[in-house]
Amino acid sequence: MELANTLSQDGESRGGVLAHLERLETQVSRSRKKMEEPQSAPAVESALGTRIHELKRLRDKLRAEVKQRQASVKASTTNVEPDQTLEITEQEILKRKRENVKAILQAYRFTGISGKLTSRGVCVCISTAFEGNLLDSYFVDLVMQKPLQIHHHSIPVFIPLEEISAKYLQTNIQHFLFTLCEYLNAYSGRKYQADRLQSDSEAFLAGPLQRNSLCNLLSFTYKAEPEGQSFPFCARLLYKDLTTTLPTDVTVTYQGTDALSTTREEQRAAHENLFFTKPLHQVFTSFARKGDKLDMSLVS
Amino acid sequence: MDSQLVEARALEAEITALRRACVEPPAPGEDTSRVRKSFQEIYQADSEGWELSKDLRSHLGHLESELQFLSTLTGISIRHYSKKTEDLTSTEMTEKSIKKVLQRHRLSGNCHMITFQLEFQLLEIQNEESLSSVITDLSIIMEPTEYSELSEFVSRAEERRDLFMFFRSLHFFVEWCEYRKRTFKRFKEKYPEAVHLSEGASSSCMGIRNPSRPGFELVIVWRIQIDEEGKVLPKLDLLTKVPLQALELDKNGVIETAPLSFRTLLGVLGIEATLESLIKSLHTEASN
Repeated sequence: MELANTLSQDGESRGGVLAHLERLETQVSRSRKKMEEPQSAPAVESALGTRIHELKRLRDKLRAEVKQRQASVKASTTNVEPDQTLEITEQEILKRKRENVKAILQAYRFTGISGKLTSRGVCVCISTAFEGNLLDSYFVDLVMQKPLQIHHHSIPVFIPLEEISAKYLQTNIQHFLFTLCEYLNAYSGRKYQADRLQSDSEAFLAGPLQRNSLCNLLSFTYKAEPEGQSFPFCARLLYKDLTTTLPTDVTVTYQGTDALSTTREEQRAAHENLFFTKPLHQVFTSFARKGDKLDMSLVS
Repeated sequence: MDSQLVEARALEAEITALRRACVEPPAPGEDTSRVRKSFQEIYQADSEGWELSKDLRSHLGHLESELQFLSTLTGISIRHYSKKTEDLTSTEMTEKSIKKVLQRHRLSGNCHMITFQLEFQLLEIQNEESLSSVITDLSIIMEPTEYSELSEFVSRAEERRDLFMFFRSLHFFVEWCEYRKRTFKRFKEKYPEAVHLSEGASSSCMGIRNPSRPGFELVIVWRIQIDEEGKVLPKLDLLTKVPLQALELDKNGVIETAPLSFRTLLGVLGIEATLESLIKSLHTEASN
């Protein structure tokens, strides 16, 4: 509501000069047709011409100021040579500038946060990745009103969006976006690890991988050697901190009824440490690589 | 006549965009209202609406405003971007309808006082079911280099090829730096005699002294660290500078335990309240 009102108010004052000149123009062309008197025409033409001249002067002044400010950073703007008044060349230069700006707008996705302007605000797109693998993107459609509102979004329900927006959306939008980024990237990373474990290391799992939708509680039974070892280990990984991709609590327990031999106990402890420090699917990749013998040098 | 009107309109759009470029970058934290305002400006300037304008100049003006808006929204300004694409699809792959492309991207810009230059490679493999994009190489150059905490962080980000973590942590790091600078400045203005910033407000140290008690000084060292996972955390320490005689008189070991009590106080009162209480305590002690 507020936005629409402001627009109509400002539209009037902004279009004021030009609208006035437009009216003058139509008047002139009409009267010219009737009386063919060219006297008033030059007056209007010169009024418009003067306005353009003034605008050009102001524009050039601002241009110089901006250039000064960007003196330390290489600017990609090209100067229109005063000699080249050919429309065609100007068009080309403008086209190149436009392509350049378009490219930079596209490049924003590599920062993790990009956006597209909409009629009511901006649709922010948050990208996620894990270990260089680009993963899912999520969007948040914001309405630029007082107070700022989320029109709709694709954030999964188990991400604490309400909490984060209550804390930061109205006061510090950058903090809101980057915090959301943190949570989403961590979730994406945990999900990626669990997915990879399920797909790549099926042979090592003695049963299905149990996981929750937030992927911060994982439980599975596994064998470090697919054949041979008869008593599998049972692992439980808890990621209490939702902004991390490594677990905060790890418990590896032994399934069998008889007591663990010393080597098995060492193995169990070593595995626990591995789960704490390495991404889940990588732990299993290292199991596969070492073959039968678990290399104790992994624990360092 | 028509073309003149169009020209006038386009000039006005350009002037609005230029005016925005002349505005100082805002401090992080006061952003939401500024973002809202900047969006309203764009909406008003482009009274044609959001349809693609046939006029090249006004379209360019609109795009530049959008870029400026994104820069305000994220706090990150990208000034240069270029991309090179190399098709690595072999004839074998084409038969199986697999496409393999290597993109080389170059990006440079700044986040407040820190400028960055990135080069990374993106390998895209498209088969019938899915598209996988992997960053296969990442190299980062940052300035200014006096933030020593950043060099370790940069190598870690490069090693992990974690582009998003780089920008995220960069943002939070800058936010903390600006907050530290504002806090130090505020205390200097409030207690000009007691607070001493030997290296200016941008440094990591703030000294508290009492002019009537020379020789005593409390130094707050406020470092901003980035951990293994890219989390940005403040780390504050208290150093005490006390004349030898005072140390001898300190039977209760107050000075010795000061750094530890400082940490406890931080946990209870938070950063600003702790610093203020320290300044006040040194002040009032002397006036007694």
